Amino acid sequence: MAALDIQNVKKTFGNVDVLKGINLSIKDGEFLILVGPSGCGKSTLMNSIAGLEEVTSGDICIGGGAVTHLPPKDRDIAMVFQSYALYPSMSVRDNIAFALEIRKVPKAERIQEVERVADLLQISHLLDRKPSQLSGGQRQRVAMGRALARQPKIYLFDEPLSNLDAKLRVEMRTEIKKLHQRLKTTIVYVTHDQIEAMTLADRIAVMKDGMVQQFGTPQEIYDNPANMFVAGFMGSPAMNFLRCELTCGDGRYAVRAITKDGREYALPLVHADARLQPWVGKEVVLGIRPELITHVIPHKSEADSVAHFTARVEVAEPTGPDTLVLVELNGQEVDCRVDPREQRPVGTDMEFMVDMSKAVLFDPETEERLL
Amino acid sequence: MAELSLNKPRFTIGRLFVYATLLLGVLFYLMPLLVMLLTSFKSMDDIRSGNLLALPDAFLFDAWIKAWSSACTGVACDGVQGYFWNSFQITIPAVLISTFLGALNGYVLTKWKFRGSDLFFGLMLFGCFIPFQVVILPMAQTLGWLGLANTTTGLVFVHIVYGMSFTTLFFRNFYVAVPTELVNAARIDGAGFFTIFWRIILPLSGPIFVVCIIWQFTQVWNDFLFGVVYSGGDTKPITVALNNLVNTSTGVKEYNVDMAAAMIAALPTLIVYVLAGKYFVRGLTAGAVKG
Repeated sequence: MAALDIQNVKKTFGNVDVLKGINLSIKDGEFLILVGPSGCGKSTLMNSIAGLEEVTSGDICIGGGAVTHLPPKDRDIAMVFQSYALYPSMSVRDNIAFALEIRKVPKAERIQEVERVADLLQISHLLDRKPSQLSGGQRQRVAMGRALARQPKIYLFDEPLSNLDAKLRVEMRTEIKKLHQRLKTTIVYVTHDQIEAMTLADRIAVMKDGMVQQFGTPQEIYDNPANMFVAGFMGSPAMNFLRCELTCGDGRYAVRAITKDGREYALPLVHADARLQPWVGKEVVLGIRPELITHVIPHKSEADSVAHFTARVEVAEPTGPDTLVLVELNGQEVDCRVDPREQRPVGTDMEFMVDMSKAVLFDPETEERLL
Repeated sequence: MAELSLNKPRFTIGRLFVYATLLLGVLFYLMPLLVMLLTSFKSMDDIRSGNLLALPDAFLFDAWIKAWSSACTGVACDGVQGYFWNSFQITIPAVLISTFLGALNGYVLTKWKFRGSDLFFGLMLFGCFIPFQVVILPMAQTLGWLGLANTTTGLVFVHIVYGMSFTTLFFRNFYVAVPTELVNAARIDGAGFFTIFWRIILPLSGPIFVVCIIWQFTQVWNDFLFGVVYSGGDTKPITVALNNLVNTSTGVKEYNVDMAAAMIAALPTLIVYVLAGKYFVRGLTAGAVKG
């Protein structure tokens, strides 16, 4: 277990800059998730941490010592691969013990360690099987077992759950979380699944185009996205982006929303201050998550930050616990999350309340955060 | 139900045509073998009096014994037995070494790529298309420099060099389908270049080893040109001895002995193919279907 420090790491393949100066640092025992769309450089960064790829410039430190130019075996890391990469010709037992054997750990100790890991992951009954005789979930466990077998400084997980079916993925996600809580190990975990990122991480680094867009705790990233990319990438259903005009009266800022049938509403921006003055009368992008636009909940509806509007229900998508209702504001589609019992039929008007306390504003040109 | 009726053997005109064609093919290919076998068991009188396809009057092993131990191949009259063992002495090391080097090359070219490794592989493939004749003079010169002219070692060396293009091609194409993550996992586990090769890669390589060994065995065993050019008087392979035996022109031409000697020369490759043939096909298609 150790802290991880990544300083200004760059990686170039030919003319392509895959990593454009990455700075990340996590403390001992933290769970870091690298998340982003395909081709954002997250796997390259992971491979650079592992030492499977040489970085073009920058430094990587594990537990205080620079490992930038060390080969993988000297970095004291363990890795779980997306394809599991179990050695096909070896039994599960030998797979788990392989790294120990290479490192010349005495046989008695090896046996003990394999037992410990097998117990931990509940795969004791599989030890004599070959990887080809295991199911996907079992292979996944063995792959984790192999990483856990020698206690390295850092564990690297490269999209470990993406080959599992949906149900098993959720189960294993919980298992990994439990495991981390028990072992308190430093983990770097790559995924493109934002739910995995939210549920598992102590810290998330959202990446795009070889750059870290935002680095923070899951809640920070969810509530205070740095830009429209992060805001749109994290959260499902995605955050609504509503282009609208910024208005100001009596020092109170608001954005204007017009429904399909011409009703006009001012949605108050409760945290706004004078910095927004240059934007008054101009178009901004309001970012508001679907769960903040709901049916009218009486005891909440009187707060300062809450606005009301009435709009026609265009589409309704029941998910069970709540129903996603699509309405139109300023000619753009807006997702709202309402209680199934409160939902009005499609084609009729319905009253909504918007909690603007967590609304954010973006610059429509640069897509950076304004508020 | 539709499937059941499809599986039921039905005798139609189409089927008859297919079987007839196949049968013709079989006859066409088996005929020479049949003639050789029949002739080798006949006496010379029998050969002269009967036709090619007639069964021998009596099955005699005399021709086989003579071919093995007393037929004249040039000046010496000891049969082909010595040359038969020569061929093994040439073939076994040549096959094993070229196969092993091919495996190592394939491993490097797929899992430890270096700058220009694809170009390197491309150039290596040229070796597959270079005709024997082109190599003969420069290789003779090289063997002379190395002090290996007219030795078994020299001939083995030539076969290794020439065969390596093919073995590299086989192994490279096989290893391309082996996930590189396996190698990465082993690197992280602390294994080095050769440990990964021995412990992870080689245990997966069974099918392609069979393909490679059959291919190389057939190539090296059946080779005549390199054998006739680079071997010394006592180190000739059986193919050269067979040629000498058949072309030695003293007295009558003993067709039965010629046929028996030819059968002896062909037997090892035949046996290898019969024993390992099914793995050959399996190995060739192994990369195509991912498990």
